[in-house]
Order: sequence, then C-alpha cells, then structure tokens
Amino acid sequence: MHLSFRALSLSVLLALPASVRAVFQDEVGHIDYHHELLGVPQRETTFFHRPRTEEKASLLYTLSDLGVLGAVNPSNGALVWRQLLAGNITDGGGFLRAAEDQTWLVGAYGNAVSSWDALTGRNAWSLNSNGVVKDVEVMEITERGGKDVLGLFQEPGATVTRRIHGTEGHVVWEHREVNKDVPLQVSTSLDKVFVVTLHGSLLSYGLKVMVLDTLTGKKLDEIPLGTKSEVQSPQDVMFVGANSAAPIVAWTDNGLTKLKVNVLGLKSKQEFDLPAGTVDVEIHAPHTIQSSPHFLVHSRTKSGHKADVFHIDLKSNVITKAYELPLIEGGSAFSTSSSGANVYFTRVTNDEIIVTSSTSHGILGRWPLKSGAEKLGALHGVSEVIKKAGDSYAVRAVAVTDSDDWTQVVNGELGWTRLEGLSGAVAATWAEFPQSEDLARTLEAEAHGNPLSAYVHRVKRHVNDLQYLPAYLQSIPQRLLSSIVGSEGTEAADEVTRDSFGFNKLVVLATKRGKLYGLDAGNHGKIVWSKNANETPSGRHWDVKAIHADNTKGFVTVRGSEGQFIIVKSDTGKTVEAMPSSLFPPVDGAVVVDSDAGPWLLPIERDGKLADVQIAWAPKQTVVTRTGDNEIQGFNYVEKDELASAIPIWSFSPSAGQHIVDIATRPQHDPIASIGRVLGDRTVKYKYLNPNTIVIAAVDNKNSVLSTYLLDTVSGEVLATSSYEGVDSNKDITCTLSENWFLCTYYGQYQLRDSQAQKIKGYQVVVSDLYESELANDRGPLGDAANFSSLDPVDFPTGPALPSVVSKTFILSGPITSLAVTQTRQGIAIRQLLAYMPESHSIIAIPRMLLEPRRPVGRDPTPAELEEGLAKYAPAIELDPRMTVSHARDVLGVRSIIAAPAILESTCLVFAYGVDVFGSRVTPSQAFDILGKGFNKVTLLATVAALFVGVVGLGPMVRKKQINMRWQAPM
Amino acid sequence: MLRSIPALPLAIALQALSLLFSPASAVTVTLSIPPSPQIPNPAVLPPSTHATLTALGASFLAPLTTDNTFVFRNVTPGSYLGDVHCATHGFAPLRVDVISVAAGDDINKVGGADAGLHIWETFRGNDWENKGEEIQPATVGGAFPVKVLGSKIYYTERGSFSVFTILKNPMILMGLVSLALFIGMPKLVENMDPEMRAEFEEQSKKNPMNSLMSGPQPGSNPMGNFDMAGFLAGQGSGSKDESEPSSGNSGKKGGKR
Repeated sequence: MHLSFRALSLSVLLALPASVRAVFQDEVGHIDYHHELLGVPQRETTFFHRPRTEEKASLLYTLSDLGVLGAVNPSNGALVWRQLLAGNITDGGGFLRAAEDQTWLVGAYGNAVSSWDALTGRNAWSLNSNGVVKDVEVMEITERGGKDVLGLFQEPGATVTRRIHGTEGHVVWEHREVNKDVPLQVSTSLDKVFVVTLHGSLLSYGLKVMVLDTLTGKKLDEIPLGTKSEVQSPQDVMFVGANSAAPIVAWTDNGLTKLKVNVLGLKSKQEFDLPAGTVDVEIHAPHTIQSSPHFLVHSRTKSGHKADVFHIDLKSNVITKAYELPLIEGGSAFSTSSSGANVYFTRVTNDEIIVTSSTSHGILGRWPLKSGAEKLGALHGVSEVIKKAGDSYAVRAVAVTDSDDWTQVVNGELGWTRLEGLSGAVAATWAEFPQSEDLARTLEAEAHGNPLSAYVHRVKRHVNDLQYLPAYLQSIPQRLLSSIVGSEGTEAADEVTRDSFGFNKLVVLATKRGKLYGLDAGNHGKIVWSKNANETPSGRHWDVKAIHADNTKGFVTVRGSEGQFIIVKSDTGKTVEAMPSSLFPPVDGAVVVDSDAGPWLLPIERDGKLADVQIAWAPKQTVVTRTGDNEIQGFNYVEKDELASAIPIWSFSPSAGQHIVDIATRPQHDPIASIGRVLGDRTVKYKYLNPNTIVIAAVDNKNSVLSTYLLDTVSGEVLATSSYEGVDSNKDITCTLSENWFLCTYYGQYQLRDSQAQKIKGYQVVVSDLYESELANDRGPLGDAANFSSLDPVDFPTGPALPSVVSKTFILSGPITSLAVTQTRQGIAIRQLLAYMPESHSIIAIPRMLLEPRRPVGRDPTPAELEEGLAKYAPAIELDPRMTVSHARDVLGVRSIIAAPAILESTCLVFAYGVDVFGSRVTPSQAFDILGKGFNKVTLLATVAALFVGVVGLGPMVRKKQINMRWQAPM
Repeated sequence: MLRSIPALPLAIALQALSLLFSPASAVTVTLSIPPSPQIPNPAVLPPSTHATLTALGASFLAPLTTDNTFVFRNVTPGSYLGDVHCATHGFAPLRVDVISVAAGDDINKVGGADAGLHIWETFRGNDWENKGEEIQPATVGGAFPVKVLGSKIYYTERGSFSVFTILKNPMILMGLVSLALFIGMPKLVENMDPEMRAEFEEQSKKNPMNSLMSGPQPGSNPMGNFDMAGFLAGQGSGSKDESEPSSGNSGKKGGKR
C-alpha cells in the first residue's frame, strides 16, 4: 500500500500541468513584497533581554496588541522569530516576562501560560488552566537556585495562585482562595509572594493584599488597603511593582488628583499630589531585584507632561520624592534601564532624548533628535543605557510613536523604523492612480470641440509638452543603460504614476486602529500616504464594513459599522468627506450598486434593512441582504413619492436546523473570454454563465451536514443544491464563485457511499462546474437564444433553465482559507484559486486545471481528454510548495486576499493583509506577454555583437579567397 | 471579526479549557522529530513548525518544543489525523488513535506502553482503515518519531546562460565543423605533395558541391553543368560513370546473397 501511495502522489505531481511553475529565485523581492509585522508593541510587554547569558547582545522582545510574541534584532530592526502566543489573533492584553540571566521568556494569554526559548523561539512548555490568567511574574530567587514563574488565575469563584517550575513547567504549589475578588496582580519580594486583588463590588472596590509563603504557598497574612470603594475599576490601579527589593502598589482616585502608594506587605499608604489637569498616569520602575528601589511617576496633562522620581527607604519603607523632571509641552515617553544597582530614566520627547540617573536630577546625557521634519510623537518605549568610559553615556531607545510605528533612536539618531501600523488590517481595496485620467479627458474634450480650437489647443499642448523634452532626452542614456543591465529601479520613482503594464496600483488599507494607508503595489508596497481616519475611543476598534474605490473620481470610501464613513482621495489620502459615528444608523455592510447618478456604496442597516434613497441614486440591480441569522432577502427599488424604497421580492432560508456560514459572490471584475469549452473531440460544452448568482453555505451543527445552495439573485430561485455529510462546523467553511464554477472547502470525516465502505478524513475542497446542458454542442433549454431572463421560465412548465452541475471532491494536504480567484483583464488566462494556508503561513495559487471536476475517474484519460489537459482523477491533492505565491516567506495571520487585473493579460496582482502585508504578481498561464528576468539583454546584445564581429571578420577573408580563386589558372 | 484565522485555534482553546478537569480518559500524545539523513540537526527547524491533530469537531495544536517534540495534552479519545507543518520539510501524515482507557488509569501514563494510544502512517485520499506501518515509540512510554519525506522546494531554477550550453547545440557544432573545414581545407591542400594535390583537385572537380563551395571557377560556371534536381535525387550530374560501379557493387553484394 505504501508503494501505491508513493505512486499516487507521484502521479498527482505529474498531473500538474506545465503551467504550474514556482517562483523564480531571482524574482524574489522584485515582483513581491512583504511587511513582516508583529503588531503595535504594548507598554507592559516590551523589553530588552539577553537571550544567552554568556553573550552580551540583547534582543528586543514584545507581545503586541495582536497577540504576536516576537523578537527583534535591535541593531537593524529585523525579525528574529515570532509566534502567535494564543494560536490566533487577539485583541490586546496578555503578559510577557523575562527572567534575568535565563534563556526563557514566559508569556500568558487567555487560559494558557507558556514558556519560550528566547533565542530560537521554540516552545519550552505550556500549561493550560481552567481559568483566565490575570498576571504572570518571574520569581527571581528560589530555594532551588533556578527561577520560577508565578501565575495568577481567575477561576470561577476562586482566585488561584500557582508557582510553576521555570524550566519544566509543572506546578510547584497552588494556592486557591475561594472568593469573589477580582485578581489583579501578583508580585514577589525576597521572601514573600503578594497577590493584589480587588475586593467588593463593581464601582466600589477596595484593595486587598494576600501574602503567601514562597516555599509552600500557604497564606501568611491578608492586608486590606485603603478604605472601601476607593477604587472604581481595575484600571485605576496603576502599577504593582514587581521583583524589586520593595515592591509597591500604586493607585489613583477617580479624579486623578492624588496618587496613593503602598509598599507591599505594609498596612500604611502614602499619598502624593498629581499635577492639576492630569489625564493619565504611568509608573516606571526597574524590574530587577538588585536595582535601587526608585520609581518614576509620569503624569500627562492635556498639553504637556512631567515626571516625579521617588525613592523608597528599604529600612523604614518610607517613600520620599527625590526630584522632579520639568513639565514639557507635548508628549513624551519614559523608560527605565538598569545595570546593577543603577537605574536610569530615559525621556524621549518630540525633539530630544534625555537620560537621568534615578539618584539625582543631573542630566547624564542629552541628544537632540536629528529626525528631520517629522516629529517623533513617542507614546511609550524601552531603552538601554550604557555607561561608557569616563562619564559619558550611550542610549538606545525604541519607542512606539503615535503613527503606530516602532522607531529606534540611538543617541539622537533615528535608526530603523518598523511599520507596525500596517498590521491588524481589516479591509483593503485596489485603486488606480487617477492622474492619467486628465489626459484622457483632454483628448476627449479635443475630440468633441470645434476642429480649429481643438487644433490650437492641441498645438498648445504639444508646445507645452516640449518643456519636458530636454529632461526626457537626458534620461535616455541612463534608462537605456539600466534597461540593459537590468537594474530598472522602481525605487527611483518618487512620484507615483501608472505604468504601461498596469503593475503600479494603489492599495488603500484600513486597520482596526483607525488608520488608513495608501500603499504603492508597484513599488514594493511602499507607504504613499497614511492618515488617522477614525477617532475611536480606546479599546474600540474600527469595524470596517465596506471599502470601495471609485476610480473615475479617484475617491475611496470606507464605511464603519457605527454609521461613520470617510471619503479620501486615493492618491494623496486627503479627506473629501467624513462623517463621525452615530450620526447615521449603524450598518451591517455596504454594497456597490449602479444608479443613474453612477456607482455608489449603498449602506445596509442592521438586520439587512435598506433605507429609502433619492430616485437618482436608486440602485438598478436587485440588492440581496442578509435580513436575519438565517434569512436572505432580495430587494428591488421602486419609486414612491420623491424617494425610492426597497421592496422585498424574494427571501431564502436554508433547511431547518441549518445556519448560514458563508456567502460567496462573484468578483466585480469577472470577464469571460469564451462562452464554451472546446472538448477533445472538437465539440463544445457551453458554460452556464449567469452573472446573478451567489453561493450560500449552510451547516447543520447537530448532524454535521453542509449544504450549498446556488441562488439566482434576480428570482431567488435555487439553481443547484448539494449536501455533504460529516462536515466539521467548528472549522473554517469557505466558498468562492467565479466564471461558471464554484467551490467550497471544509473539514470532512465521513463514510463513502460506495460498494466498499471507505472512510475519509481530512480537509477537502469540492468544486462544481456549471454547464448549460449535460451534452456537448447543446445549449439545453436555452437553445440559440442570445439573452435569457431569470424570471421567464424557458422550458415551461419545469421552471427556469437549470444548469447541469459536475462536481468532484478532493482531499487537501492542509486547510485553506481566505479564498480568492485570480483576475486578468480579459479573462483569457486560466484562473487560479488563491488561498491562505493558515498552518503553513503561506499563500498558495492552485491552478483550476488541478481542481477540474471533469477529470476521469478510475481510468486513464483518453487521448481526447489528454488534449484537453485532463489528468486521471486522484482524490488527494498535495499542496505543493512550488504552488505557493509567497514561496518561503512566513506570512502570518492573513485575513483576506484581494486580486486585481493588470493591463497585461497574463498578470494578476495579489495582495494579502491581516497581521502581515504581502503582495505579489501571479501569471496563471505563464508570462506570455512580457519579457521576464530570464530574458538576458546582455546576452542578446553580446550575441548580436559576436555575430557582427564574425561577419566583419569573415567578410574580407571570403572576398580574398574568391579573388584568389579568380586569379588562379583554371585546371 | 477576525474570523478566518482564529476559528481553528479558538476551538483548541475551548477544547483545552473544557478538558482540564476531565482527565480521566484524556491522554498526552508526544511526537518527536529524531535526527535523520534529511534533518541531521532538528534543532535548526524554524520555530513556526507545529503539529496538529484533527478530527470531526476537535483539533489540537502543539508547537515544536526545545526538545524537538510536539506535546499534545489532554487529548480526548478518538481517531485523529496528525499533521506536522513545517516551512522547510514535509512530513508523512499520521493516524493517531486514542482509545478510552479504564477510568483507573491517569494521564501520567503516556506513550506507547499505554494500550490506549496507537499511531500509524496514513495515506491521504485513501481509506482511513488503510493504515501503514504502526509507529513505535523510541523508548517505552516515550515520544513517537515522525517520518520526514524530504525538504520542500519552493523555487524553480531558471535556465541560466552559459557558453557551453550554446556550444553543445548540434547546430552550432555543425557550424563550427564546417567553419573549420572552410578555413583549414585550403591550408591542408597547400601542404599536400603535388601528386596528391592533383588527384584531390581532380576529385573536387568532379564533385559539384565542392566546386560550388569554393566559389565560381574562372572560365566555367560551376552551375552550368550542375543538375540540382539530379543531385538531390542522389545521382551526381557529372558522375554517371561513378554511380555505375557503385550500383554494380551493390549488385555484387546482392549476388553474394
């Protein structure tokens, strides 16, 4: 059997048509681009750490707001490794700690605590719990000599503290306190473990500290702190100092006028005044046990910020204010760095970096920022201060800026910048560069004007164009040279323009943090513009429901779920119109409709309701909305008084017990080059090409049955339906639809209804082709009709012309999600299925030829079928790495893939977004209309030159010989 | 809203959550990547390498640990499809059967010694009951080794330009040989002794092709008495006499036969 499997996979590989070709190594980085991102680093979970004690170099670690745990090389900003900590994309939070002089990091999210090797990014251990992890701390000193991890868990009705073995990951002891407290943080000093919880009810909490024994986890003491109802919410507690000689807990009152600090283990608290108008307080303290017990209180006001440094007396446990750093206008980021007992505070303001020691207010180093025009706008950061010979210091700080970038500043010089703002993208669209429309418009105006004036206009235009001639002539030699040596630098183009191949397109990307970006797809995904498009309250994300580019106007419209929308210019990002949230009713989505006033984005309100619109803006098509969890309705707009209102014309619900999991619609650009398929025997099978179709996938959770429905959107008629048993409704079920075929992918486990009962298990894809008739050379009930109507039954009385469906199921070697289909300008090139492989972190292009339902089963293809390119059906499709568009790149967390046609028929532009941003070009039928990198111009020229030399050199020789012959006497 | 990616791992998380306190029949499955000819040093595998166990309504995920193993905790009884996902190497799919063991046994009893855990190779697209060889743990109660199929190839080689590939072309070789003849022949002829030379020139006079190649002969047009059609038909125009002995020759041969 083993052999047959080998033979099988070999036959599958051989069945791959020749058009499947992998990426060429020399095209990497030329046709594709990839922003390897982490997400915006969070303040509490970002730090420098030495992965190996014996080496001096440290790496920068972060757990980002997307739940990506990663290590970055601080010298160049390159990614060393990354992991999705919780296995999926998260919404902020999580914990990350590193143990001094240890090779591991410990991270926690949700219910799991896991430890990772700091240098390789490998998992060391993971521990799942029944509750939610509320805090994780490293226990620096243990009786064993190693370091352990303290985890604080909130389980139903109990607060659980666990000490976990640092290298092996088993629980050393567990302390369970049955109460309704809100566990807040855990902290440790040399000999005690402190668990800080909130006691009481919502809006009137009191702080409580439990003191546990480090060896056994037995409760030693319980200290209530402050008065009851002093704390309103967990957010009011600013900081619980960890691992310092004197850990503290600090909280503020509700009005942010006073800061209250308690040294953990004591019953007393000390109060300090905050500056008037404080809006935000942060506390920075060193995290190592040997550092001096000093901490810095950073208070932000509306206009500026200041900082106060406090010292804790270890003997008397009295906190005294040591000094203060002056109030500076604008924002800044503070960070601590410690070496031995010394603690340094680094202040990154908009125009300089200041390093002070925690002991005195004397400035140790001050570097003005040489950042150029743009101000830094640091929000928070981390820093490393190194004392050099004498009294000089060096500092490198890495700060998160208000543009969501992560920037390194070394002694005032801007180092690398990681564009972390691009991560967490929720929507994107392709947009054309608008400027060449001007020329088209001018030409049109000339064509329609009075001939004489048009001529004058044209001459003027040409004379005007002459001013570009010298520059053009000057550029010729350089362009020629670069063209020959093949170093055509797209980097040189500062201004973004269209190109004759259609590779230069804009991608407008919206992120969940409310930022909009314009990326140049033809220039390695460089950011053309970026802007803050959505002011969201913290913790709320921009839930983009629809994005649409209007290429005739050059506008991009982005609609959010709260009714807000923004219209920007696609090339500059300038706001044309913006509407804040909650002025308009919340929307479920938006669709592009055609109207007398042109195409526009029609908002769909909650539960699929459609508002009345002006008659000029009334959609001409049937609008299909999802009106309930399990209902889809089709609406037509009819005139009513001055307005047009939507009237439901049909509704569809799947069978009882099923709920809709996916709805696939046709891509907007879906040209069909040929209405039929020519078979090997020269007969034609006509494709069923109904532009008004959608595919609905509905699943029955109880019986694990997936049903797919092909729906005519004009009549609401079900054109085709099929059910699949044993489909896992918890795993991804996605469908896509293009041309005359649709496919769905799911995880299935079922018994074949075959003579020999066979069981099948795995990820599958079912592909269905639609033809007008089962027979070749036959158009079924349509006959020779050029048009057809969804509403007119053709072969009355059986109903409308139903397509003939041919289906095949294939087993895939892994799951695929985020399906898309390649688009080319005319639709002549064959199509490929684009999909994200979430397990392999890559984007794959599966040729349609491989997913062909007409492949012969159980026999070898006949010569006629071979001519068509049909290979013998093999149930398994190995997702060959050579089919991956992203080749060896690790593209993390793709949410969606969008495709757009280039001007060249062979080429389709691909863009994927999610955590990472990746873009490339695919040529499903090979690059038949463009010379690739394989076309060596130097060789060509060298060959021509060699031939020329040969001709020039041999010519005289031949002539000489002939003349000599003439002069020879005839024999 | 980030539906596409989290759906699967979320299920794992939920699974794990619900399973912590029902360990009576849950098992720990440990797979390992031993050093092999394909992967001499498994420590260099990328950290994104992970393994999954999937079945209807269940999935588990385990990242690659520092010991080159994948540890699935609290796996409920069932028959799972095991896959190892690695960016650099391909691995054979596995069938992992976790059979409910008696309630007295606990999770600490892991590995192959336990009657509750069997692992086979499986063949994609084949019947699930069609199992390959059963995989035995390296040590009793230890990890089950997974089989490497080979390293993944992502790129195709572009046909690179080299002078030798051009020289290997038969057309070029033919051209070179005729070039050598064209240049070398007259020199050769000059170096011949007069007798041979005369004989050779006599020969080349008879051969129309030769005279054609060596340019127009003064006095007589070489094309004048050259019958192209006849030449192509295989009979030299000026060599009727020559063809006769050859035909006679063949006749002799025939006679011999």
